[in-house]
Amino acid sequence: MQSETHNPYQPIPMRVLRAYYESNDHSLKTLELSFENATDSQAFFEAFNPGQFCLLSVAGKGESALGVASAAWEGDFVRFTAQLMGTVTKALHELKPGDAIGMRGPLGNGFPLKDWKGKNLVIIGGGCAFSTLYALTKHVHHPDHRDDYGKLTLVYGTRTSGLCMYKHDIASWHESEDMEIHQAIDVPEENWLHHVGYVPDVVKEVAPSPENAVAVVCGPPIMTKFTLPALVELGFSPEHIYTSLEKRMKCGIGKCGRCNLGPKYICKDGPVFSLAELNELPADL
Amino acid sequence: MNLILEKQTLPALLRFWQEDHDVYLPQKLGQFSHFMPLQEQTDPLLGEPHNTRIPPKSLFLPMTETLVKYTKYGTYKEVDPEVESRIIFAIRPCDAQAVKLLDTVFEQERYTDPLWVERRNNTITIGLGCHEPCHNGFCTTVGYGPFNKTGLDALLTDLGDSYMVETLTEAGEKCFQHLTPASAQTEALVAEIQLNAYNSMEIAFPTVNLKEKLEQNFNSDYWKEISESCLSCGVCTFLCPTCFCFDIVDETQRYERVRNWDTCMFRVYSLEASGHNPRPTRVERTRQRISHKFVYWIDQVNQIGCTGCGRCVRYCPVGLDIRAMLRQVQQLPLEVSHAV
Repeated sequence: MQSETHNPYQPIPMRVLRAYYESNDHSLKTLELSFENATDSQAFFEAFNPGQFCLLSVAGKGESALGVASAAWEGDFVRFTAQLMGTVTKALHELKPGDAIGMRGPLGNGFPLKDWKGKNLVIIGGGCAFSTLYALTKHVHHPDHRDDYGKLTLVYGTRTSGLCMYKHDIASWHESEDMEIHQAIDVPEENWLHHVGYVPDVVKEVAPSPENAVAVVCGPPIMTKFTLPALVELGFSPEHIYTSLEKRMKCGIGKCGRCNLGPKYICKDGPVFSLAELNELPADL
Repeated sequence: MNLILEKQTLPALLRFWQEDHDVYLPQKLGQFSHFMPLQEQTDPLLGEPHNTRIPPKSLFLPMTETLVKYTKYGTYKEVDPEVESRIIFAIRPCDAQAVKLLDTVFEQERYTDPLWVERRNNTITIGLGCHEPCHNGFCTTVGYGPFNKTGLDALLTDLGDSYMVETLTEAGEKCFQHLTPASAQTEALVAEIQLNAYNSMEIAFPTVNLKEKLEQNFNSDYWKEISESCLSCGVCTFLCPTCFCFDIVDETQRYERVRNWDTCMFRVYSLEASGHNPRPTRVERTRQRISHKFVYWIDQVNQIGCTGCGRCVRYCPVGLDIRAMLRQVQQLPLEVSHAV
């Protein structure tokens, strides 16, 4: 835990370990960052929970909130995938191995894994919002944790096959026997062996059983909007459907007011909420 | 303890305090009024029947302040807020209450804002009650009052040639330790002045069911009606003593990451990188401002997040009046289904 005198606005020093494009159009780039100080690393991993995010800081450009895309067991580094959007993400895309970068986090609540123990997991992701679900899947799929959960079903949709992230792991998960994976693209492509269609439709088609299961949805707002009711229709109760919200953020610690949603701050009280919780909040999304 | 402070001895007392403290008090600044440090020529604004234009929240959350320094090599250095011990003199009860409300934002179990805390811990706050309540203020409507003591170390009541000082904390007592005690007669007079001030204030809008009505009418045309003439200038939030939103930007010429006051009334405030904006028009933004103060604050800390200071009413360039907006809420139906 951070001491009281620690300035929560001050990034910890990190260094780019690896940087590589995640998609064939170069719109998505993955950065793996190592810690400059062992104490920072220790503090990070003591607090880290899949589903949390960090603010990556490029001096002179600003900060960008990105979900953590790595599991703790992978090693002493943290992975992020940034979509090229504005000033900060452009600067992130220009970083090379060895470059210095600042980071604040882990921030937010993350997925309530304790409550999910013993349950079947239905993980539904779309586009680059899949990053925290990737961290979740890597965590759950690890032999040390796999027995804590029941059946694992993954639905992952992207606009094109070229935009599919983490291809190496996705390919191995198709081979894996203790996971059911459904991959989808929006429009047909040659040699595509999996689903074609939008994620909500694929979810309806796959029809995962709500029995002793939780579903977690992360994707663009339009996908989430149609996937949540699809899950309710399949019989999932709002208490067992989770999603991760995104809003513009600055401070990441519930002070700057930007991500305020009713009595909650998405950065501090979220970003993960159950549909039951969301139903209590104003529709200011 | 209740003491008598003769007005003619006040300048000497302020100078005495200045030996060990930075003393801030309301002063004129061009056309503005603002809390500024005591200087040689200082002519404090103590007779004005209303609060300063710029709220004293700025003494704890400055309009602009450095959070972190960075180098061109991409490393970060902590800033030392270095706050001297301070006395804020003649803060109005609405503004002291507002600072107390803001404590709940900046001092939390999980994340505490070190800059805010440093300033709070080093400040003694001496209030000046409002024996002639201001025209636009409505502190009694929102559950506070012209002689509210929350957040104060001492409270002054104006008696013409003197003030009666009610010391409320040890620090407040120390500031006034050489004064003579007030007589029982004076105490009775002060009680009467305070009660009269309280009673002279009209209830600006009913607060019964206000929260429920605002919540239940989230999608009502009411929001469109009340925001129609809004210019999105943000002055209501900028001058609001309980508004705390800030932006964080890098000042590249100074190598500093700073925070600046920001406002939910601006379109770009919530505009996301994707182009999506959860509050794209004045309708949603007005709803956010009002709901935050009269719904969300109550959910969070069980208190209305408006202290009735009246600044947003006084300084709105198009004459939008939050009191009238909230009176209009009474016309809205209760028990329409909650919009999701």
